[in-house]
Amino acid sequence: MKIAVFGATGVVGSSLLPLLAPEHEVVAVSRSAHAAESGIRWVAGDASSPNDVARAIEGAEVVYYLVHSLGSRDFERQDRAAAENVAAASEDADVRQIVYLGGLGDDDAGASAHLRSRRETGERLAAGTTPVTTLRAAMIVGKGSAAFETIVALVDRLPAMITPSWVSTPTQPIALDDVGRYLAGVCGNHAVLGESFDVGGPEVMTYRQMIERIATLRGRRPLIVEVPVLTPRLSSLWLHLVTPVGASVARPLIEGLKNPTIAREERLRTLLPFELTSFDDAARQAFGQKKKAST
Amino acid sequence: MTPVLHGWDTTERVLDSGGFESTQRARASDPVVESSSSGARWLGVAYWQAVDRFTRGGIRARWTDDGGRLTLLGGFNLLTFGAPELEFSDNLVSCRYPIHDGLLAVRAGGSVTLAQRRLDDGFELSVVVQEYLPRLAARVGAPSWTGALYAKGQSPFHAAVSRRYFDLLARRAGT
Repeated sequence: MKIAVFGATGVVGSSLLPLLAPEHEVVAVSRSAHAAESGIRWVAGDASSPNDVARAIEGAEVVYYLVHSLGSRDFERQDRAAAENVAAASEDADVRQIVYLGGLGDDDAGASAHLRSRRETGERLAAGTTPVTTLRAAMIVGKGSAAFETIVALVDRLPAMITPSWVSTPTQPIALDDVGRYLAGVCGNHAVLGESFDVGGPEVMTYRQMIERIATLRGRRPLIVEVPVLTPRLSSLWLHLVTPVGASVARPLIEGLKNPTIAREERLRTLLPFELTSFDDAARQAFGQKKKAST
Repeated sequence: MTPVLHGWDTTERVLDSGGFESTQRARASDPVVESSSSGARWLGVAYWQAVDRFTRGGIRARWTDDGGRLTLLGGFNLLTFGAPELEFSDNLVSCRYPIHDGLLAVRAGGSVTLAQRRLDDGFELSVVVQEYLPRLAARVGAPSWTGALYAKGQSPFHAAVSRRYFDLLARRAGT
């Protein structure tokens, strides 16, 4: 099958390509030119350009949409426009399936701009006639994941943290490898056309617990003091100062942390059964450490 | 499709043990959660969200798979709960939190159970508090007015949260 992957250089796209390439003809789409790889044809293109999109998906049966504009001032508008482009082009090219990775918690009435944008992107993709398969995930635990790297940087750089109340928000992080397996598993699967699935990891934890777990893995013991008032703006500026994540990315992420991001259902686990990676093992992999041997 | 809710009712009684039993129910045309551990957990998640929203953050719910607590204005522990016990079958999905302690409990004991039960003609959603010993209720033999804070405050508040909870479950099931 010919498959086009938008957002191929991103964290998720990069881990998906090696899973698809052995079985499919993969066209990886990214905004910048990229050296060819075995089994993967790279195409320079922007999801917001109708011509680029049409060229990239020509002949494709499945399109992966792993693009977001987080960090741009008007990311919501850009994401909507790009999704509309891909939906329209997919319809014209008789694509059989669009696979989209959205965000858990995006259907909450009080969802942040980031999560709202994830939901709207999914809605724009589904507005065409091409069936969309949506996977909704919380924080992805893997190297390069902005949210995960932010927490790791906080743990590594701060002996003490004054944290806002969002550290008590529960979430269900999932390993990057597991997201890749789910994404690859739904490819061309008729049972999942037009369906939306929650994909969560095996554990529910608060961000505070996540910080503590990462700290243990890194051999650190930061002091965490939770305060009731610390605005997303202040938090994002602080993250901008002490982590590699810019304020423009940090702020929408932080605003999204007030919403619990928990899977409501697990139908995809029935369709694609495999053992989910524990948080600690996923984090170890991200750090380049070996998984702890199972007992 | 958003499940249609109808048939709301709320009851409360004192058990022979002295513990309180409070039950709120609503009927739903369709299931609000699936029969799985995620579905059962979601019954709990939505309840904590309903508490947060109903009080506009005045009472904050903090919870994980290890347990939870309700805090007043971010400080005082009103109630603390143990790890949720999740059950699911074709006919019943439930999430039961044992009550551990807190300012509103005389002592550890009792539980809050959030459930979806299949009926012949739809589904029953329920919030059942069992064997709870509220600190604000009147003691045995004491004048009834000593329990006014519970009877006129905590009890109707709990019922109102439950009603909001059922609405939230139905709304989220429709998205």
